[in-house]
Amino acid sequence: MIHSDGTKPIYVQIAEWLETEILNGHFKVDEKVYSQYKLAEMFTINPATAAKGLNILADEKILYTRRGLGKFVTNEAKEIITDKRKNQKLKGLLDEVALEAEQLHVREEELFSMLKESMEKRKGDAK
Amino acid sequence: MNVITCEGLKKNQRKVRALSDLSFTIKENTITGLIGRNGAGKTTLLKILAGFWRESSGEVKVFNQHPFNNLYVSANTIYVDDQMSFPASLTLTEILQEAEVFYENWNGKLAKRLFDYFSFHPEQQHENLSKGKKSTFNMIVGLASRCALTIYDEPTTGMDAAVRKDFYRALLRDYLEYPRTIIISSHHLDEVEDLLEDVLLLQDGSKCLHLPIDELKDYAVGLTGRTEMVRQWIANKEVFHTNNIGAGTTYAVVKKEGIPLDNARQLGMETTSVTSSDICVYLTDQTKGGIDDVFK
Repeated sequence: MIHSDGTKPIYVQIAEWLETEILNGHFKVDEKVYSQYKLAEMFTINPATAAKGLNILADEKILYTRRGLGKFVTNEAKEIITDKRKNQKLKGLLDEVALEAEQLHVREEELFSMLKESMEKRKGDAK
Repeated sequence: MNVITCEGLKKNQRKVRALSDLSFTIKENTITGLIGRNGAGKTTLLKILAGFWRESSGEVKVFNQHPFNNLYVSANTIYVDDQMSFPASLTLTEILQEAEVFYENWNGKLAKRLFDYFSFHPEQQHENLSKGKKSTFNMIVGLASRCALTIYDEPTTGMDAAVRKDFYRALLRDYLEYPRTIIISSHHLDEVEDLLEDVLLLQDGSKCLHLPIDELKDYAVGLTGRTEMVRQWIANKEVFHTNNIGAGTTYAVVKKEGIPLDNARQLGMETTSVTSSDICVYLTDQTKGGIDDVFK
């Protein structure tokens, strides 16, 4: 789950992992998330690194802090995460796809049909 | 609170300078990785901090005291390496029993559990252990002592991959349970980096870098592209490493701060992250050219 191959800092990976847990409904609104120490133990990482991951989410208003109790999921958490992933991650992936398509001279229609195929395949897999 | 303060620390061994003008501080209850090439001064520094060796000049404070020949410092510090010597007349079990007398916070239960987990024979003698087993036993002493300052100098020498992994996990879990100041020197930054809070990188007996590990990971970026373009683009930037890959393509590692990465990508250069281990190698590279030049 956590890769130390250097492609992404560990604290970013921790933040993204927690986001996915929130999106999947493993942590609900006003529920307490794992502490920095629990995360450190789970992933064998330094607790200061885990704290950085939690702080990113707090800065983005995905988590809020209750002094002495820990960090909790905000009301808007899911919305913020979905919005962020659409605008950053998905858009970034699409930029890469566009670049690759350009280099391979793949035309728009062909690309659209490939995307459609992928989406249908996923639907099939989910069944 | 700072557990360690060094100010202009110097150490000469005969006529060779091992440490020159080293200044840094280490905060309480942090895990610091001490990284550097062979002969960079890691062991010299650690032995001075543990109070084994005396500095030549400059100031060194551990728990606010001068460490050399200091009882308070030795009672609260343990120095673990593969050359720890124990009385040859004692069995492994007896060594652990004796250690309990020396170290106030000794955790006998942890020592016993680790001893059984790694399948040591109670009657065995320390000097008869294999290299890897010796390191494993010394690591048990280091963990169980729970000293306020725990120093590991290349603790994994001879350990196989599975034991190293167990050791790192044991170190972290015990640290979470019982926080203390830990310094760990290692050639395998990629193996220990997840455990670390800070990295102290030594080069030629001086400080090269001292920063949080997360910042080190973000310190540099790799650029790959057509040689002329890369050359031109990095001309006024801080370059740590360049390498020609095949005909007309160059890979360069530059300091990330203030680098317009989007601009580089638009020009068709590929940007990649650089592992902290590689950054350390590039920063402390003293060899002339590369190993291939030797064979020219």
